[in-house]
Amino acid sequence: MAPELSVFLALFADTLSYWWVIIPATILGIVVGAIPGFSAANTIIILLPITLAMEPATGMIFMVVLYTASRLGAGIPAILVNIPGTAGAAATPLDGYPMAVAGRGQQALAISFTASVGAGIITTIAAIILIPWLSQVAYHLHSVEMIVVMLFGISLIATISAADKIKGLIAGFFGLMIGYIGADVVYEAPRGSFGFLELYDKVPLIPALVGLFAISEAFVVIERNTILSKEGETGQQQAGWGPTLEGIRATIVHWKEVIWTGMLGLVIGVIPGAGAAIASFVAYQQSRLMSKTPELYGSGHVPGLIAPESANNGVTSGTLIPLLIIGVPGGATAAIMAVVLEYHGVNFGPDLFESEPMIAYGSFTAMLVTYVLLGFLILPLTRYFSRVMVVPTLYMVPILIAFTLVGAFVPRAYVFDMGVAIVFGIIGYIARRTGYHVAAILIGVILGPLLENYFLRALRISQGDLGVLFSSTIGNILWVLLLLSVLAPGLKRFLTSSRKTRNAD
Amino acid sequence: MHKNTRRNFLKLSAAGLAIGLPGLSFGATFPARNMEVFIPTRAGGGADRNFRSFAGVWKNHLDVDLEPAFYPGAAGRVGYETYMGKASDDCHDLIFGNMGPEVLNWVVKPPTSFSVDDYFYFLMVDADPGCVFISEKSSMKTLEDVIAEGKKRTLTIATSRLAHPASLGMLVLANKMGMKVNLIPMSGGKNTRNGVLTGEVDLGVLPATTVMGKKGIKILGLFDEKNLVPEKMAGATLINTEYKLGIPPIAAGARAFGIKKAAADKYPDRFEKLVETGMKVFKDPDYKVAVKKAKAPWAFIVAGGVNECRDYVGNITRIGKEYSGLLKG
Repeated sequence: MAPELSVFLALFADTLSYWWVIIPATILGIVVGAIPGFSAANTIIILLPITLAMEPATGMIFMVVLYTASRLGAGIPAILVNIPGTAGAAATPLDGYPMAVAGRGQQALAISFTASVGAGIITTIAAIILIPWLSQVAYHLHSVEMIVVMLFGISLIATISAADKIKGLIAGFFGLMIGYIGADVVYEAPRGSFGFLELYDKVPLIPALVGLFAISEAFVVIERNTILSKEGETGQQQAGWGPTLEGIRATIVHWKEVIWTGMLGLVIGVIPGAGAAIASFVAYQQSRLMSKTPELYGSGHVPGLIAPESANNGVTSGTLIPLLIIGVPGGATAAIMAVVLEYHGVNFGPDLFESEPMIAYGSFTAMLVTYVLLGFLILPLTRYFSRVMVVPTLYMVPILIAFTLVGAFVPRAYVFDMGVAIVFGIIGYIARRTGYHVAAILIGVILGPLLENYFLRALRISQGDLGVLFSSTIGNILWVLLLLSVLAPGLKRFLTSSRKTRNAD
Repeated sequence: MHKNTRRNFLKLSAAGLAIGLPGLSFGATFPARNMEVFIPTRAGGGADRNFRSFAGVWKNHLDVDLEPAFYPGAAGRVGYETYMGKASDDCHDLIFGNMGPEVLNWVVKPPTSFSVDDYFYFLMVDADPGCVFISEKSSMKTLEDVIAEGKKRTLTIATSRLAHPASLGMLVLANKMGMKVNLIPMSGGKNTRNGVLTGEVDLGVLPATTVMGKKGIKILGLFDEKNLVPEKMAGATLINTEYKLGIPPIAAGARAFGIKKAAADKYPDRFEKLVETGMKVFKDPDYKVAVKKAKAPWAFIVAGGVNECRDYVGNITRIGKEYSGLLKG
């Protein structure tokens, strides 16, 4: 199914003729990605009348480009002001924001963009080559396997709370409890919703996200003149093009990290219902696990920023594969793309690559063109984006809070959700002031309901038999890998200390 | 005395004009403002599509726009609670819902802030039959195979949610044929389809339009008495008649406009105008054009008035109560 090189190059050239769609969609994608709450999925829904009026290939390229560019855009506020505008960027601030506070915001942006563009290009090419195999992944990863994938992500709670395990675990369990508010997927029995119907479908994710990260951060930084630390202020004022080049260099040095975390994102993106949030948390957790300097994660460590950004860009091409081959969308944005293509009477399947190559392969070549374009367009802007950091908090905080509240309102258009954002802002502020990790809470909020869905579904299918959790070969392999990944840090410490003791003797 | 009488007369006339005229003109020109339509689902879905096709033509008969307001959440409960709490009683505010799943909501858990008799549906716009479907890769090829297999072992059946008319149809069939089935709620049509396509479950039940013509899927049967789209559902068994289920056709999707009972009782003339103009839409050639433009199957467009809606709600409620234990999980 993978095209010959000459065909691929011809398609690539053909895609370039859509520049009049690609350029505006790229700019729009960066903007909507950077505004919390305005995800690519929301924007495509808003623009549906325009997209439906386009030719199918044009419409598909428009959506794919918007989706791709929004991924990069979402990293900007995540790094500069600690607002992951989408769940896919939720792991980005873990190391991106500490870099920004230390006056290395420009460098952090350059790392994020270079990793995103690099991983995006590599995974898109890999997706084209591996389509026949990757399209089969969805057939093998069902609820049981997904439970283990979720647990990989949730185990990050323990990883990021290395400094204070007890507080980290308390925060994580608190997040999981919040994630279980609302009705479960099987029995539809509402729990802990305090009588609010608006909480029946779980705590809305975007308001919780922007509240925990952005509003609580706004409360914290208002006590300072700027978001930057004292040392950071000096560094930022003197910044030229150097930090951008330094960021690019730092990413190139970690090219292996870009490739494997990007590929991890690609595989997770192929699984229906998984998505960028899971990919970035799992990539971060695995990156830290395999690192020789795990203690540096969370303090502005370069691989800690590369991992989630590469992974969430790997997801973008992965999510299209099951959609185009078996008509099963990998994520929310792909589901909306499916609606548009179905409207035009496009039939999904392997035949699509023969009958409509501009839609099938064109989606991937459009991604490639977008990534190349983004490389030239967005990297030079890092210097100017990072100037946001020197805006006095006196002006910055009200703008931040206003934007985040609008972002909280957008997905469901409920004023209630603005209240949710404020409540989570207060929770986040208390957590920060008392040394609890807000990211640990957020992991619980994001992954808890997904874990519960898969768990209840697996139990329902097995009619309550817990043995189902160990009933599949792939699932069992994943269980072993999970066990190894949880035990590895302890084993590593044990082996190091035994070696030291032996050497001392 | 004369002066006082004249003054009193003028005062009374002025008061009469002030109170009466707006009322008179309001009544005479109903609707006096745009209609607000509460939709208890997210924008961009099937209800939105059906609403826009219908409202785009209905507005020409009402001479005002119909403005949608979306209140998704809690399987429609948020929308209904909001409508019953906020909508005016002057016939300008309507609700546009999917009768089957929303009525089953009340069967499994009655509303707390209003009575189910406080509103009713009066204008049904479609009837999308419930269907049984499998993956083309499945070892079962016909409904007969499914029934035979269901007698040997428990089949896993993906459904959008337990309290759904499509689930109800499957439960009636299983009961009649002595099959063992395990309904697996997958949270929405897309996930239900995915579950069947990827082989996580044996088969699925959904409204036919959700799966009709989809790659890799075969529709085996319809909970209906006729196959209205044979070209896209070739060979689908008409389950209700074939297996003598003793139930009326189960439309798994049946969208309809509803209104507060208090509004219809208070302004029967206005309500009458809504029904009358609404029924005209089905005969308007522009409506067929709008439905085709929205790529919805015209065959499932059904013109239903108060009686048809009442019958549908009554049937679903009756069968739903019979199986309510299984619809709650």
